[in-house]
Amino acid sequence: METFEIKVAGKPIRARSGETVIHALWNAGMPELIKTGCVGGVCGACTVTVRSPNGKINGTDLACMCPVEEGMEVFPCSVDAVPTIASEPNPSADKLRVAYPTLDRCTKCGSCTASCPMSIPVMDSVLRMRSDQLNEVADDFTTCINCGLCRFVCEDGVLPHVMGMWVRRSIGSSRESAKNNTLEVASEQIELEWKYLLDGDSTLRMKHAQQFRENGEIES
Amino acid sequence: MDWAKDSLERLESTREERLSSKPPKLSTGEAEKLLYEYHPDYSGMQRSIRVGPNASNEKFPHELADILEADSQLPLDFEPSTDVETDVLILGGGGAGAATAIALEGAGFNVHLATKLRLGDSNTVMAEGGIQASLGKGDSARRHFADAYVGGHGENGSSLLRVLCENSADTIHWLGKLGCMLDRNEDGTFRLRSGGGTSIPRVLACKDYTGLEIMRVLKDAVLLSSTQTLEEHAAIELLDDGEGQVTGAVLWDRNKGGLITVSARAVILATGGSGQLRFQGFPTSNHLGAMGDGLVLAYRQGCKLVNADSHQYHPSGTAYPESMAGQLVTESIRSAGAQVVNAQGERFTGEMVLRDTLAAAIIREVSENRGVKTHSGRVGVWLDTPLIDLKNGNGTIRRQFPGIVHRFERYKIDLAKQPILIYPTLHYQNGGIQIDEDGRTEVKGLWASGEVTGGIHGTNRLMGNSLLDITVFGQRAAKSVQNNLPSRRPVTLTRLREFREKLKGLHGRKAILSPQLFPALTGMKISFEKKTEPLENNFSSTSSFSLDPPDPFSQ
Repeated sequence: METFEIKVAGKPIRARSGETVIHALWNAGMPELIKTGCVGGVCGACTVTVRSPNGKINGTDLACMCPVEEGMEVFPCSVDAVPTIASEPNPSADKLRVAYPTLDRCTKCGSCTASCPMSIPVMDSVLRMRSDQLNEVADDFTTCINCGLCRFVCEDGVLPHVMGMWVRRSIGSSRESAKNNTLEVASEQIELEWKYLLDGDSTLRMKHAQQFRENGEIES
Repeated sequence: MDWAKDSLERLESTREERLSSKPPKLSTGEAEKLLYEYHPDYSGMQRSIRVGPNASNEKFPHELADILEADSQLPLDFEPSTDVETDVLILGGGGAGAATAIALEGAGFNVHLATKLRLGDSNTVMAEGGIQASLGKGDSARRHFADAYVGGHGENGSSLLRVLCENSADTIHWLGKLGCMLDRNEDGTFRLRSGGGTSIPRVLACKDYTGLEIMRVLKDAVLLSSTQTLEEHAAIELLDDGEGQVTGAVLWDRNKGGLITVSARAVILATGGSGQLRFQGFPTSNHLGAMGDGLVLAYRQGCKLVNADSHQYHPSGTAYPESMAGQLVTESIRSAGAQVVNAQGERFTGEMVLRDTLAAAIIREVSENRGVKTHSGRVGVWLDTPLIDLKNGNGTIRRQFPGIVHRFERYKIDLAKQPILIYPTLHYQNGGIQIDEDGRTEVKGLWASGEVTGGIHGTNRLMGNSLLDITVFGQRAAKSVQNNLPSRRPVTLTRLREFREKLKGLHGRKAILSPQLFPALTGMKISFEKKTEPLENNFSSTSSFSLDPPDPFSQ
């Protein structure tokens, strides 16, 4: 297997082609260099910056999702959590401004979008927050893992990730409960069905459960 | 994927025909035979254990048996002396722990939540497919029960399962109030999908990020509550009063080093599963910390484990690229139309059979040389994802499964155009600590909720029932604690001392300590030595000097 050198936090380690930075660290006996959580790209613990010698990759990433490349340099950059703010019913741009006055600081440099490991159009979404297109914002942030890299790179102290979550929670909690159809069943019938499923020995219970699956009713 | 060119061509040549084909039928008898012959739970790589409440009865995977028979990480001379006093101590920062903390808010208790990693770094956040709730036309809690009971091979604890099913609608409502956005149809009703073993569409989802959506909402709710969160504090041992009541825990502060004794009137174990024990060398879809810690801690206190020999090998774990090995590919991608196909381009079973059956069928295909081998030596079968757009229109897979599309894109694999290679991955701990309908363990002062518990799902869990489990039983444990909070009792290591005595007579044990906290292959070290504060930290804490540039917007 092809191996080559990469540097993590300035320390040279051997890495095997095809593995991620996290796996290379485990193999090199330096697992603690980068904070690690899910190892599946969704918890946002292992945020790093990456520099590659040929200038191809230069930016931020999740170490658990980042394949090693010869000569690359990786720098841990843990992002501290930002205190969260309670959601508001029927959110609007103005309510968001009250919760997060940083909204209007954005100077449209686009660093946040470039930094996002989930390819969320962060800056565009911040502009949508300003212009009250909050449903679109909620949609943009569907895949946000709250790693905080967008905040980390922001020169202006905007907090896009927590604002995105605030918008989602606010919209989510203001939605009407869904009116899905469930059968209106008399309580005696419900008790009868539970009795049918729960009484008897294990063979009978299994038989009844299998039957009940067919149409959700007791066989007449 | 040029290395698999031949097999891919065969797959493509049969696609047209498969599009409208019916999957091969499997009788109950054939499914049972398949499980017995090929499912890892029946491979014989299990043994009984010689100590504790499950001694000499059931069998456990070797890796789990080893840690249950292992000695504690605690130094022999450690004496507990209370550092933190709280009413309720929750151990675990995933969905179950968070749901418990939120449900305890307002009860007037002092609540601490300790987690080995950070709040939310858990299997919950990695769950993709969805959460079950009987909200469809013609559905009911009874039908949900019947599906899960058949799916669990009748090994489920009936009363636990009934509680799970009866509380699904309320739980979805609760999550909605907290701000969860689950996918809806245009008429405002929830979109319901089928899962393997559901007899009617019952799975609600947020794209293929359902766990992430639920976890980040729960996490924010915990952060907004009065719960005191202790991140990167791993539970090393439970404490008891010397008379059989659990009274707290010893935590290891991973950042500062050192052990902390927490005295609590109630302890709730929500430490999750054990996929990182990687039974029989299987890869896993679990997070770094899923090491079965809670099983070990509870077992030493005398808690019985149920169905602890049963684990879920999710049929669709990634087998290529190598760096993604074991990562989950949601079941709902099969529900949306992706077929499972062997190296010859043939479907060999229905895609929506029970997870254990499909996993066994894939292992059979591979062991009978109808699988595909990667250059890293992994094996698998194809998941023919392009069928989804063929069936439902271009852009469907990208719209409904942005997570999976995103992860494979990095390796220039476009799921709309080419299939992916899958092989079963260790996914879920079906069994665990025995609890009652209120999350109580057999030991006074100790509750448990979520994946660490056993009985609800029998020996095979259905898709979408674990996110429901953590939210339903997380809340129920909280309610039960609230109504039955014991008074404060002394903290001792009596149970551990007794356990250590019993270990003395056991020969041939592995020279390991448990809970192990982190997978051996990571090489992460456990040291209880207090770390010395770095100079910079002292510096910044004693002066207001900051290297950050002044904030131009302040004032």
